[in-house]
Amino acid sequence: MIDIAFVKPALPRHGALVLPIGEGAEALAGLAQAIDAATGGAVQRALTAAGFKGRKGQSCTVWGPALTDGASGPSRIVAIGLGKEITPEAAEAAGGALYALVQAEREAVVAAEALPAPVAAALAMGLLLRSYRFDRYRTTEKEEDKPKLERLSVATDAATAAKTAWAPLRAIADGVFITRDLVSEPPNVLNPPEMAERCRALESLGLTVEIMGPKEMKKLGMGALLGVAMGSAQEPRMVVLQWNGASRGKKAGQKPVAFIGKGVTFDTGGISIKPAAGMEDMKWDMAGAGTVIGLMAALAGRKAKVDAVGLVGLVENMPGSAAQRPGDVVTTASGQTVEVINTDAEGRLVLADVIHYCQTRFAPRFMVDLATLTGAIIVALGHEHAGLFSNDDELAGRIMAAGKAVGEACWRMPLGEAYDKQIKSEIADMKNVGGRPGGSISAAQFIQRFVDTKAGPMPWAHLDIAGTAWSSKDLPTSPKGATAFGLRLLDRLVAEHYEG
Amino acid sequence: MLTVKLRRAPREDARAPLALPLPDAAAVPSALRAAAEAAGFTGAAGQAVMLPERGLMLLGTGAARRSLDWEEAGGTAAAAIGEARRFAIDARGLAPGAAASLAAGACLRAWRFSRYRSEPAPGPRRLDLLVDDPEAVAPHWSRAAAGVRGCLLARDLAMEPANTLTTRAFAARLEALAEHGIAVDVLGRKRLAREGLGGLLAVGGGSETPPRLAVLRWRGSVAAAPVVFVGKGICFDTGGISIKGAAGMEAMKADMAGAAACAGAMLALALRRSPAPAIAVLALAENAVGERSYRPGDVLRMGSGRTVEVVDTDAEGRLVLADALHYARQFRPQAVLDLATLTGSIVTALGSHRAGLFGTDAGLLAQAAAAGEAVGEPLWPMPIGERHREDLNSAIADLKQCTTGRLQPDACHAAAFLREFAGPAPWAHLDIAGVDDRAEAAPLGPPGPSGFGARLLDALVSMYFEH
Repeated sequence: MIDIAFVKPALPRHGALVLPIGEGAEALAGLAQAIDAATGGAVQRALTAAGFKGRKGQSCTVWGPALTDGASGPSRIVAIGLGKEITPEAAEAAGGALYALVQAEREAVVAAEALPAPVAAALAMGLLLRSYRFDRYRTTEKEEDKPKLERLSVATDAATAAKTAWAPLRAIADGVFITRDLVSEPPNVLNPPEMAERCRALESLGLTVEIMGPKEMKKLGMGALLGVAMGSAQEPRMVVLQWNGASRGKKAGQKPVAFIGKGVTFDTGGISIKPAAGMEDMKWDMAGAGTVIGLMAALAGRKAKVDAVGLVGLVENMPGSAAQRPGDVVTTASGQTVEVINTDAEGRLVLADVIHYCQTRFAPRFMVDLATLTGAIIVALGHEHAGLFSNDDELAGRIMAAGKAVGEACWRMPLGEAYDKQIKSEIADMKNVGGRPGGSISAAQFIQRFVDTKAGPMPWAHLDIAGTAWSSKDLPTSPKGATAFGLRLLDRLVAEHYEG
Repeated sequence: MLTVKLRRAPREDARAPLALPLPDAAAVPSALRAAAEAAGFTGAAGQAVMLPERGLMLLGTGAARRSLDWEEAGGTAAAAIGEARRFAIDARGLAPGAAASLAAGACLRAWRFSRYRSEPAPGPRRLDLLVDDPEAVAPHWSRAAAGVRGCLLARDLAMEPANTLTTRAFAARLEALAEHGIAVDVLGRKRLAREGLGGLLAVGGGSETPPRLAVLRWRGSVAAAPVVFVGKGICFDTGGISIKGAAGMEAMKADMAGAAACAGAMLALALRRSPAPAIAVLALAENAVGERSYRPGDVLRMGSGRTVEVVDTDAEGRLVLADALHYARQFRPQAVLDLATLTGSIVTALGSHRAGLFGTDAGLLAQAAAAGEAVGEPLWPMPIGERHREDLNSAIADLKQCTTGRLQPDACHAAAFLREFAGPAPWAHLDIAGVDDRAEAAPLGPPGPSGFGARLLDALVSMYFEH
């Protein structure tokens, strides 16, 4: 991971010098002005010649500028546009775009003297997030093809303020990288027991980690989750991660906020097997769980003043000799029975048991579940929005707002009795699919049946991230591949409304 | 439609069963208490208990408040009445609006389409609505009846098979609306060519029956910019060269349900003499497989001058709508709403309980959603994102018509496409592919075409454009 430092402004003698410039900025100032003077006005001439106006998305590189005094200077100068409104969001996007322009240098210095601390920190965040790379399994990559950037120094007069703004972002970036690593791992490596072990490693952050195997889950009556796991040689796991950032040192704990993730480490579809084309994508059918794990690491890493629990149900959905069949009826931990019509609608079976367990054990303030649940949500919304389903308008509103603020947009989708009827079964309390029409909605209705509101309100939201957990193209702050969509959103949700 | 008579009392000779609307068990007349109890009648909405030996029906209304509640109660009565040719609803003691709504609901539920049956389907023909003061109820009823007739026209049109409701026949049916004071102008091939409506001409090119653009105008009585309805009227959709699978293709006779709903709304406005000026622009074509069919890869020049790369000839609705939306701009509308059975994607997204609502103007979207709630035709807002538009970038033309591959947000893509052709006026697009047909009976209609949209547009005009 690139080292981010906040330093006193000084012209670098090697590497890249980055000049973030807003649209309509009058004249170069600070380090920008200094380097322009040192190069005899070459920087200003280059910007003028290139038509650089500081617009969003604009950049201009000056290669190997000669200093008039003959001293050694930066090997490239990169001006990057911040647009008219210099906001943290704009700076983050600019930082993301900047990465490609400086990654061939070992070091880069950003002339951020004129930027407010949160903007400077956001620029570093954007670059860091965009620099993510999963190269664990590359053994023959040539040295010159690898990115070289090791250190980004943000030159600012307000280093203390910038460091304060940076600290939580760094913890969030760590969480994002944990999630992206988990989601990127191949399914022969990252099976349920391995994924649970990786959770164990997060104890060093101060998280409490409990791992349950088939025996414990059987005792809890988790027939739905266990049914999904039957076709695989890999044992299922449920992991409970707890962060007690609010009640630490106090006697009376408060109700935690709760996050639940679907962790199907590989989804063949089971007996209702998927077609071969594109099946390799199903390694990321654990992205909901991966995101919850990264989120818990981020909350612990930035010492969030909140009590939070993260629960993930980890299974592999395989068509083995003991696999469950279409037509099987399973009994969930809640006692409700489910007719399994399609073994490829397995995510909701896993979530049903974990959500019930979560509510029973923790009585949380709210529950948010994340799952790469349905192809239907991609047909509905595409890849820009996750589908948001909720029984609580306040919680839904907060999630929408948090998502907008961090660039992880959600779109509210409907729930209702008419949709709930689609999962009526002839033999059990419900069936696990409701047909193609409104496929994401009937899936959400299924999950909602395991949110118990008999004894009082239980705010719940379900994020269907099937269209957003993985990107087939580069995004401003996420190279193509695992995005960790939802992590920053939920971190923001906690920070805005549930801390302190 | 049921013949509805407003009467103060039942006919003397009446053997017609009489429905008694009751909000709860306590309201049941004492003579009927025992029967009501035995039948488990609680007065809840949706309940109807026939007492054949007395010629009575206990009709649950619950705590009906909205006119939609009364309509659904009326529909429940019509459904429960069975094969009786005539029945009555006792609306005495109810507000005139509630009485009218009971009758409206009964008419919507009792609709049948018997044209192609040697013997008409059994069921009620006549309804006696018993009211305290027929003169007080009459204006409410004529207003409600207008909306019902609009809806039923839309259903009749959607139900017609494609060998009878050709583009020409559809246009002739629309021309017949002139008797209600609607001015109808039908553009044939020559005028379409003069207008340069290359999308509509290309889609209609493969068929023996030619494409048409029908423009219906209701002048209204106030000097205001018109509300414009734009409808997709694909009289049959084979998919064209990108031909559809055979299973279920017969349903494609109803791929003109959007245009039918717009026509129904125009009829409703005319029948109730709405003061608001309104125009419907309906694009009629058959998407056939023929020697002159348009092909995937073709580039079309649309009415607006934009060029479009055809990727899938089965995404034809957006092409004809684009030209109709463009044509509508000349009327300088204060709002434009298009209705179309446009995508399978919206069915996957929202199922058959809500139509997809897209658009550019938050105010109009909120109004359309409110009108839909009022008449039991609910909508749900859907996004048009930047990425949806980017996905339509073409290597050869200004844009392509859709994308290919699995799991595409085609409803959003279609809306992003249409946005390129909608003018500056507030615009809303209703993708009604999931709701234009009912698989099961509902309080306000039997299985079959729902007429979705006609009552919604009528309500929208009445709620927001008549002041």
